[in-house]
Amino acid sequence: MYSRGVYALREITLTVGKGEFAFLTGPSGAGKSTLLRLLLRQELPTSGRLVVNGRTLTRMSAKQVQAYRRTVGFVFQDFKLIPARTVFENVAFVPRVLGQPLDVQRRKAFQVLKWVGLQHRLNAFPLELSGGEQQRIAIARALINDPALVLADEPTGNLDPDLALEIMNLFREINARGTTLLVATHDRELIRRVGKRTIALEHGALLERT
Amino acid sequence: MSVLRYSTDEAARSLWRGRRSNLLSLLTITIALFVLGGFLLVNANVQRWIARWTEAAELSVYLADEATAGDRAAIERVLSGSDSVGGREFVGHEEARRRFRRLFPDLAEAADQLGDRPLPASYEVRLALPRPSDEAVAALVRELGGMRGVADVRYDRRWIDRLVALVEAGRVAGGFLAAVLVLAAALTVASVIRLAMQARQQEVEIMHLVGAPLGFIRGPFVVEGIVHGGLGALLAISLLLAVYAAVRPAVAGWLAGVAGPDPAVTFLPWTAAVALVAGGMLVGCAGGLIAARTAR
Repeated sequence: MYSRGVYALREITLTVGKGEFAFLTGPSGAGKSTLLRLLLRQELPTSGRLVVNGRTLTRMSAKQVQAYRRTVGFVFQDFKLIPARTVFENVAFVPRVLGQPLDVQRRKAFQVLKWVGLQHRLNAFPLELSGGEQQRIAIARALINDPALVLADEPTGNLDPDLALEIMNLFREINARGTTLLVATHDRELIRRVGKRTIALEHGALLERT
Repeated sequence: MSVLRYSTDEAARSLWRGRRSNLLSLLTITIALFVLGGFLLVNANVQRWIARWTEAAELSVYLADEATAGDRAAIERVLSGSDSVGGREFVGHEEARRRFRRLFPDLAEAADQLGDRPLPASYEVRLALPRPSDEAVAALVRELGGMRGVADVRYDRRWIDRLVALVEAGRVAGGFLAAVLVLAAALTVASVIRLAMQARQQEVEIMHLVGAPLGFIRGPFVVEGIVHGGLGALLAISLLLAVYAAVRPAVAGWLAGVAGPDPAVTFLPWTAAVALVAGGMLVGCAGGLIAARTAR
């Protein structure tokens, strides 16, 4: 709830199973991003309980939040890549700031870049890549720590339909490895083409489950 | 990869990237530490001169021209018998003239025109250690002043005390000024590092999202502050050395004219220089910490 009594999300009871791939949909302002922010522990609910992988997010110390976030990957519409760093540096940035050894950083970054098919663009800078390639880099970065959960907020919002489908196929492959995926999008056509569970929100309330 | 290595790498990268705005911070910290270093330099020299002057003659007993050998013997008996006296030196007419010529070469000719004995003979008396009480010295001055053959008794301690009081006041004022400048330097470092943080806002955000430890998030900014402070201090010391080399001959000449050739002018002791660099790094570290606290 916002300070002026307006609800961003209200009376939502929702379970996403381990290894599930679910879409979060609804019009702008429905509360999709807020729900993802709650799951990333960037926001705290006014009341209620949030449990991810057995961890209660509403009762965590700063250190526990850090430890929790290491188990979650995230992908944003605007990619959030660091323009001054190369593709390789962007991806290796995560193990680097987690204090992992240099050889581990290199091995993991190369593996994950190979997996998204961009191992040949290691030394390119983000702005030299297409939107689809940039999003694949962001996905590689989200996967580098082998997270149990990947959260994606409008990951195809800046991409044309073909590239959007390409990214969704990548998500399907990630999910096939056992990773839980929650993807927020308002692109109903894309949801239809991928054909996974859909959680719809409107005005902060849960509308339907399919 | 250790926090230190990561922080050092990132700080170096950021310092290079923001080299223009970093110059402002470097300049401020250099000026602050230059003033502080200059103050320490002057203070160290003045303290040494005062210690030396304190050790030198503190009581001068000027003899009348008509003082006889008997009068001198009586004066020497009083000086030898006093617990307040640590030592004495007799300065005859010729020695007094020689010293005058050395101290005031321009006036030497004028003094020569005043006859054979233009300057009085004197005893330069050094007080005992530990220092006698003011009352004991005053009693000795009174006794000597009343003796036959004594023209005047000067108790130099008074002007040394006044000088010490003046230096003390200067030290307080200088310390206050240096503290203000150091605070300004720390805040400037913090502002410049905050600018660097703006440039790296996205990196900081990503670091938070991936659960990076706070040491990794804040470390680079603190290291950046330390580098600013250390470099600023080194620049300040270099500048101080250059100014010292330029003004030393003039100050040494003036000092020789005022107090004789003995009190030398020296640069900061190496311990003070090291302390200045360490202090600079500490100030920079404080600035970095102030800025890094906002990296939430």
